[in-house]
Amino acid sequence: MKKILFGLFAVLFALSFWNCEKDDICEEGTPTTPRLIIEFYDNASPTNKKNVTDLKVTADGMTTSLDFNAVNKIELPLKTDLDLVNYSLVLDSKNANTSLQNPDQITINYTRKNAYISRACGYKTVYELNPNPNGMVLTTDANNWVKEINIQKFTIENENETHVKIFF
Amino acid sequence: MKLMLKYSFSILFTLVSLVNYAQDSSVSEKANSKPKDTLKKTQRYGLRVGADISKLARSIYDKDYKGLELVADYRLTKKMYLAGELGNENKTTDDDRVNFTTKGTYFKVGFDSNFYENWLDMENMVHLGLRYGVSSFSQELNSYKIYDTSGYFPPVPDVAAGTKYDGLTAQWAEVVAGMKAKLFNNVYAGFSVRLNYLVSEKKPDNFDNLYIPGFNRTYDGKFGVGWNYTITYFIPIYKSTK
Repeated sequence: MKKILFGLFAVLFALSFWNCEKDDICEEGTPTTPRLIIEFYDNASPTNKKNVTDLKVTADGMTTSLDFNAVNKIELPLKTDLDLVNYSLVLDSKNANTSLQNPDQITINYTRKNAYISRACGYKTVYELNPNPNGMVLTTDANNWVKEINIQKFTIENENETHVKIFF
Repeated sequence: MKLMLKYSFSILFTLVSLVNYAQDSSVSEKANSKPKDTLKKTQRYGLRVGADISKLARSIYDKDYKGLELVADYRLTKKMYLAGELGNENKTTDDDRVNFTTKGTYFKVGFDSNFYENWLDMENMVHLGLRYGVSSFSQELNSYKIYDTSGYFPPVPDVAAGTKYDGLTAQWAEVVAGMKAKLFNNVYAGFSVRLNYLVSEKKPDNFDNLYIPGFNRTYDGKFGVGWNYTITYFIPIYKSTK
């Protein structure tokens, strides 16, 4: 009798440990709030990807910047509490000749939805870019280095796909 | 040689079992020949009702918890008891990333089997049992955090949701292990631990049942744990020699 009881308690005890899955820590690799994935293409030959040189991206009202160099794919965070974000994209931002640093302004308009992930991760924001031509708007200036913006995916749910192509 | 060994083992085995058989019969014969005890031990049968005092206590010291669980069992045979719990809980869970309030009622029914050999007129229990539980509840998501790993924009305050999800249900099975000891007269103190297995649940849209009244906290899998600490009163109904 005692043996049976002991066995059962042991099983219960073991099960309770086995049951302790890692659900208090948001595991790395869990898809959370996605960033906007932009790929750069050569405007002269639109099927070829083209690397950016010292691209400095700063959102309106931010003092810090996101810097990219020698890549053709960048990730820009969108706001989780506002339906638009303005970015200034400065190409060749490290050029000693400041007149050659070329800033372009883009405005990204979208709608947001918060989706439940898990106890440990809470919620994530998923975005839907506004339909053309408002999804991503380039502010025209005298010398735009961005030639064309082409939205590939309006729904931004993960970072596995390219959402926007920029030709320059 | 090997075959030999096998045979000799079989023979030995048969002999041993025969010896055992012979002894058994001789023992039982002896037992039968003894004069029978005419004084029969009577057992009390009846209904035991009470409450989980751990939930009552927690309702006092934890401002985020209000709960009551009534427990009852009815003795069916010498060892078997029909047992059940009826409870109501109102609990606000403040996790790192979500804060929600669960309100609801649950009912569990099943049986307990007493494994304790009582001496004389002792009426203690060491029991194992099973329950099937059902719960009807609501979840109110008070606030949540958005998980954003980009870390570029300053962190946003928690989102105050206030979304209420009504008409949620869950069903589960429990394995219960516990004990009950007679304190005095007809008053018993009891303790039990439970391992729960979620059978089915109706989840809220865009949220989850992170706590279910009666089942307690849920985990990624289907298992959960529970316990109670009871004070019960035994209402004797009849006596039997069985």
